[in-house]
Formats: sequence, structure tokens, C-alpha cells
Amino acid sequence: MTRIKRGYIARRRRTKIRLFASSFRGAHSRLTRTITQQKIRALVSSHRDRDKQKRNFRRLWITRINAVIRERGVSYSYSKLIHDLYKRQLVLNRKILAQIAISNRNCLYMISNEIRNEVGWKEYTGII
Amino acid sequence: MAMAVNCATSSSLLLTKPSNKPSSTSLKKTPFLGFSLPAASKPSFQLNRVSKICCQEKTALVPAGQQWMFDDITGPDVWNKTWYPKAADHINTDKPWYIVDATDKILGRLASTIAIHIRGKNLATYTPSVDMGAFVIVVNAEKVAVSGKKRTQKLYRRHSGRPGGMTVETFDQLQKRIPERIIEHAVRGMLPKGRLGRSLFTHLKVYTGPDHPHEAQKPVELPIRDKRIQKQT
Repeated sequence: MTRIKRGYIARRRRTKIRLFASSFRGAHSRLTRTITQQKIRALVSSHRDRDKQKRNFRRLWITRINAVIRERGVSYSYSKLIHDLYKRQLVLNRKILAQIAISNRNCLYMISNEIRNEVGWKEYTGII
Repeated sequence: MAMAVNCATSSSLLLTKPSNKPSSTSLKKTPFLGFSLPAASKPSFQLNRVSKICCQEKTALVPAGQQWMFDDITGPDVWNKTWYPKAADHINTDKPWYIVDATDKILGRLASTIAIHIRGKNLATYTPSVDMGAFVIVVNAEKVAVSGKKRTQKLYRRHSGRPGGMTVETFDQLQKRIPERIIEHAVRGMLPKGRLGRSLFTHLKVYTGPDHPHEAQKPVELPIRDKRIQKQT
């Protein structure tokens, strides 16, 4: 067999990985072996957290909506709001509700009053 | 709030509260405007204008009065980017200060309300990674009450780290020694543990006796929603 040097093959592969980890801190962007490991960990984290992101944001929206709704009355809460929304078949999702809660709180109060007094309204319109 | 409920029930949808102006900065720190929807609006006739909502094939019929919502594509995308506070939204000097008198209030219930306000969980702008909460002053800390036999039986333990270094004292003894520590211990257990939690804890100011040095911050009475917080005599 003729002698074959590996040449620049490994270096080319490692430069790409090094480019990926170029903004990491300390040895994680300088040392080759560490760079390969950190790239793997970074990709694993990003894959796992893309699913967690959906969960986390939903938690955040629910907490924000809950905070605003509880100001409304002593025994009014997020759970009751959601139940009323479902009863009225209003398909606003939590993301939009949370953004409404932050930007335009009175609008959310109007929505919640509307759906809360649904039974009252039906009786009212029935009388007329 | 009862007044607002009555207004809403009596005059229904057409009630416009003053803060409902479409272009108002409803968040006092950073402007929170802009509905950005890339609207390919084809003006068909006066009454209904058609606009294409992104990511949907069907076009939406939008009445002319509401077309302004879909025309403005400048500004941040409010409906697709969850609001995150900027630095201007949590300046320490602009946060509200609350004061609460601990006389004859049940310890745990009081600490729970305080922790909620310090953490900011009663706000719409709550963010777990940012300190959005308020400052809370507790006065008359030595008069806080507990139910049952906790006054003589509740134990506070601490360990110095060395073997045999556990010190145990009762609620009573600690109240005689350092009364502020009781409320601080209770609230610290209810705040998150971590870097942010530790800095949140510094927003709690506990004092024995009825006066406090924070008159310049003009503290407001802490709104307590728990009905059973006052000791039943």
C-alpha cells in the first residue's frame, strides 16, 4: 500500500464545527476536542428546548392571564375564564389573551364580562 | 371594580373606556403599538375590504371600519411575539412601594401575599426571569400572629455547618431575640431560590415598631385579598 497522509481532511471538517462554536465562551470556542463536544451539547439542547419552548410560553401566558383576571373579582380566576370561553365557544388562544391583557387590559375585562354574563344576556333578550 | 362591572353589564359592547384608544401607549414605559399583518388588501367596495391574513389561504372580509387594524405593517409584531420587558420597564426607582402592618395577621398568609407582590405575580407584565415586582415594607413585625400552639411549638432551626452545630429555637424565643427574622424567614421560603430570588428578597423591608425610614417612597397600603389573614379573636 502506498503511504497516504490525511492532509487537510480533518482540518476542513473541524473548521466547520469551529465556526459553529465560534461565539462560545473560553475554551469552548478554542480547543478542538472541546468544540466538538460543545457543538453536540448545543444541538441537543436546542432540539430539546424547541419542544420545551412551546410548553414554557404557554405557562407564561397562563400566568399572565391569571394575574390580570384575578384583579377582576374575589373569586374569579383563570380557570373560570377558560371555562366560560369554552362554554361560549370563543376560540381565542392564551397567547392572544395574554397580549391583550398586557396591552389593553380593559378590553380583556370587556371580553370576560361578556362571556361571564352570558346566561344573564340570554334571559334579557328572551324577555324582549 | 364593582363600578366597572356595573357599567359593562348595563351598556354592553359599545362601552369604550378612555384607555381604549388604538394608538395610545397603554404600557407606560415602552410603547406597545403596532398590529403587523401583511395585508394584501384589495379594495373591492366601500363596505367590505378583503385582506389576506398571513399563513392562511382564504382571504378575510374586513369591514371598512376595522381596516385600520390590518393596514399598519410598521412596528413590532404584537400578536406573534410575546411581550418581554425592556430595561425601561423595570427601573427600580419607578416600582411601587407597599406597606403592610403585621399586627395580628396570620404569618403564613401574610407572607404569601407579600411574596406574590414582591415577585410580581399579580401583574400582567409578570416575567419569571425579570424582577418586575414591587417593594414591600412590613411594620410592627413583632406583633405577627400564629394560630394554634405554634407560638411555643414552631421550631426554627439553623446549622452552622460544623458537626453538632444545629441550633433550635422556638417561635417565641426568636420573636424575643430578632422579631424581623420571623417574617423574613417566612417570605424567603416563598420566594424563588436562586440569584433572582435573592435579589427579590432585598425588596422586602421589615421593621419592628410602627415607623420606617421610607417615607420618601410614599408607600401605599398593600391590597390584601385573603379574608382569613386577620387573626380571629
